[in-house]
Amino acid sequence: MEAWRLPVSSSIRGKLISAGYTSLSSISSVSSSDLARDVNITEEEAFEIMKLANQASGSNSCNGSRSLINGAKNAWDMLHEEDSLPRITTSCSDLDNILGGGISCRDVTEIGGVPGIGKTQIGIQLSVNVQIPREFGGLGGKAIYIDTEGSFMVERALQIAEACVEDMKEYTGYMHKHFKANQVEMKPKDILENIIYFRVCSYTEQIALVNHLDKFISENKDVKVVIIDSITFHFRQDFDDLAQRTRVLSEMALKFMKLAKKFSLAVSIYRTHYYTSLTLTRLSLSRGHTQPVTLRLALILQSQVVLLNQVTTKYTQGTFQLALALGDSWSHSCTNRVILYWNGDERYAYIDKSPSLPSASASYTVTSRGLRNSSSSSKRVKMM
Amino acid sequence: MKPENLLLRSPTSRKLTTGCEILDECLRGGFPCNSMTEIVAESGCGKTQLCLQLSLCAQLPISLGGLDGSSLYLHSEFPFPFRRLHQLSRSFHQSNPSIYANHNDNPCDHVFVQNVHSVDHLFDIMPRIDSFVRNSKKRFPLKLIVLDSIAALFRSEFDNTPSDLKKRSSLFFKVSGKLKQLANKFDLAVVITNQVTDFVESSDGLSGLRIGNLRYLCSSGRRVVPALGLAWANCVNSRFFISRSDKIVCKEKTENDESGPSSVSRRAQRRLDIVFSPYLPGASCEFMITREGICAVQA
Repeated sequence: MEAWRLPVSSSIRGKLISAGYTSLSSISSVSSSDLARDVNITEEEAFEIMKLANQASGSNSCNGSRSLINGAKNAWDMLHEEDSLPRITTSCSDLDNILGGGISCRDVTEIGGVPGIGKTQIGIQLSVNVQIPREFGGLGGKAIYIDTEGSFMVERALQIAEACVEDMKEYTGYMHKHFKANQVEMKPKDILENIIYFRVCSYTEQIALVNHLDKFISENKDVKVVIIDSITFHFRQDFDDLAQRTRVLSEMALKFMKLAKKFSLAVSIYRTHYYTSLTLTRLSLSRGHTQPVTLRLALILQSQVVLLNQVTTKYTQGTFQLALALGDSWSHSCTNRVILYWNGDERYAYIDKSPSLPSASASYTVTSRGLRNSSSSSKRVKMM
Repeated sequence: MKPENLLLRSPTSRKLTTGCEILDECLRGGFPCNSMTEIVAESGCGKTQLCLQLSLCAQLPISLGGLDGSSLYLHSEFPFPFRRLHQLSRSFHQSNPSIYANHNDNPCDHVFVQNVHSVDHLFDIMPRIDSFVRNSKKRFPLKLIVLDSIAALFRSEFDNTPSDLKKRSSLFFKVSGKLKQLANKFDLAVVITNQVTDFVESSDGLSGLRIGNLRYLCSSGRRVVPALGLAWANCVNSRFFISRSDKIVCKEKTENDESGPSSVSRRAQRRLDIVFSPYLPGASCEFMITREGICAVQA
């Protein structure tokens, strides 16, 4: 049903349509204050319109003429929603740029890379950055950190939190005085307190925890990011029945997706392990999956990993190749995927899969203060 | 399942001193508890020396950087250097007499040694560690597990066939999962040693894959890579690398023997590098092995 059918005055109707509110659902998807601002009317008027729109769409859905399933949205509304979604900065502006502003909420993002490339560092950085207050352009939320590998170190988190607080203080220096007065004082201690940390020691615990997350997050609504470091660790042992593993994992993946959508939080999965194996092994790993084994990842990495292109061009079997762990079926389980790799002495991130972002790579560096740009302008810290 | 409050954890996780201040500074206090640390080196670099020293240092009181606990030394490389342990423990006893004064025991009493013959044997032992820790004495509860070395167990038993390699890597994750579980449950420090293999430049291999801070590892003038490959590298939290280079460290000219040019002493120079670690930046430290144990050389 279109907006022009609403029983409102023609001037308001004109304003509505010229502001882009052509459908009823676009009106009901925003708050009344947003509507008032966009259309340039008073809040009372906006509220009245909202009410009318809701009534109209209610009767509409009863008729069943437009939306078959309640809750269906059109792409235009979703685009609006997506634009307004907050993103969590990585503290490295180059990386933020290729990610379209940071790790996005409502999405499942997977980050992979060899040991020591900085996956855990990104995880800790995100769990700190999600707490940056709204006044500073952050989310002001809490983080859930699920540690399966035992790599989370409190002292490192504290170090990054301290640097984050320092940066925020520096930032307020440039701001108005009246703002300084009412800004909330954030302490590194508070940041640590808002990281909800789970240490998981087996895959049964991991599955149980993921099942429990829904309830946990609905009790702690301000959780904005869930970080799992790493999804793979416990699933690379003791699974002789690979079909079962695939089932368990896809169930878990579905739950993540649901969580992310439901609470519009960001889920960062660290499928931390690259998987090296003989092609033969890999074939057997992806058994039960109908697609042929693709060498996509290997192709992408060819310029970074020594001589991988030969693998993909010359041989099809019996040669080494790099891929992310857990087989191909898992690739369908995440919305975005970022791969970290070494290029010379610099760390790079590459967007391997994303529905909305172009493939791109950016360099980053891990400093004592956390993740930063690796350009010389930010004075790359060589730590000794 | 309840989340852990990070504030209740000590801001710096407990560390086990290496017994040398300079080395400790490089490692920010030593080897962390509730974490798995791997020491990679070729033979003769001092892996075992460092492990022996750690298993003694664990008995130091917490104020001195120790863990106030005993240690379990699983060794798969034979023979176990009992003589050397004894030698180290004597000097350890001499420098820390107060710990043992009232109890009439000596440091060797608190280092438990267990041999491991095979991977199956290891899986046999690991479940028993749980009850061992629980029943360990009040005075020195178990605080350190050393596995010297993982490579000796896994390098011999498996063929280079796909099915064997697949089985092998799932066993890595099993070993590591179990040890990390123990480390988490009892706040243990876990130290594992690993061997190296020569880096072979090949057209189809991934041996050149870079892991960690160092572009490549060099020891005794050769390029080496840690044994057991990428799968194992995913299993550890931190990896340290010890390299050695034979260098002329000092020219000792003894006074009564002036004519001898042969008094040039060649001493192996050893160097510890941090390959990767979640809490340490890349750093390195040179050290030497003396009669009293490992001690770093100030750069």
